[in-house]
Amino acid sequence: MTNADIQISGKRPWTAEPTEKVFEIFIKTTPKRLWEAITDEELRRKYNFGASASSDWTPGSRYELASGSMLLATGENLEVDPPHRLVQSFTAVWSEDVKREGTSRVTWEIEPVGDSCRLTVTHDQLSEDAHGEIYGGWPMILSGLKTLLETGETLTTPGSLLYSQAP
Amino acid sequence: MDAVFRALADPTRRSLLDELYKQDGQTLSALEQRLPMTRFGVMKHLKVLEQAGLVTTKRRGREKLHFLNAVPIRLVHDRWVSKYSEPWAAGLSGLKQRIEEES
Repeated sequence: MTNADIQISGKRPWTAEPTEKVFEIFIKTTPKRLWEAITDEELRRKYNFGASASSDWTPGSRYELASGSMLLATGENLEVDPPHRLVQSFTAVWSEDVKREGTSRVTWEIEPVGDSCRLTVTHDQLSEDAHGEIYGGWPMILSGLKTLLETGETLTTPGSLLYSQAP
Repeated sequence: MDAVFRALADPTRRSLLDELYKQDGQTLSALEQRLPMTRFGVMKHLKVLEQAGLVTTKRRGREKLHFLNAVPIRLVHDRWVSKYSEPWAAGLSGLKQRIEEES
């Protein structure tokens, strides 16, 4: 059987196990400032749909993404290597639909490029029919993060601060 | 942002993005079979998409996997769409969808 035969057979052998989504952005900032924006409770709130991230950011520690008393997602910091790499398990809990997905994995990678940083967020270990809300928010979050670090301003496009008014 | 608009201006490149949207992380060989085009043609278009940041790649063993990177589209949206037409665009695309579903 040739390689081509396998691919036509419909088993989709080119997918590496469950679904994986990759998000990449260049931000004019330093790795240190970028790391801070990802892990600082107050900074995170400004671009992550109004949700803050709390944790002590040590390997194996828990983190919580929450807006006020409303828990949105939680997980474990599997690898913590500031200001380069952060690997987290991710369990979304903001609706019954997303809870069904269970736990996936989010990897943040920061790489300096000239006077900027390339930030790559890989969201993998998702099921093949994962709810779009679980990974669909990344472009909006990363766009808001870029705006915050480059201009100091907060994006106000619809949805950007989705949960900021939650109790 | 010029690179993004240029990359999106071509229907073949848009269909490549659609293919990756349906099934992310494909090899060149897999994409080549989904489009009526030579391997060289697909490579050329993928290169334009990569340069615009719309496609990002990862090596896995001997394979190079292509992923749709939706972030630049969001940046275009935040810079252009939301500023000028978000309320109208959202309303009109919702209307279009409803009408098309009914017909």
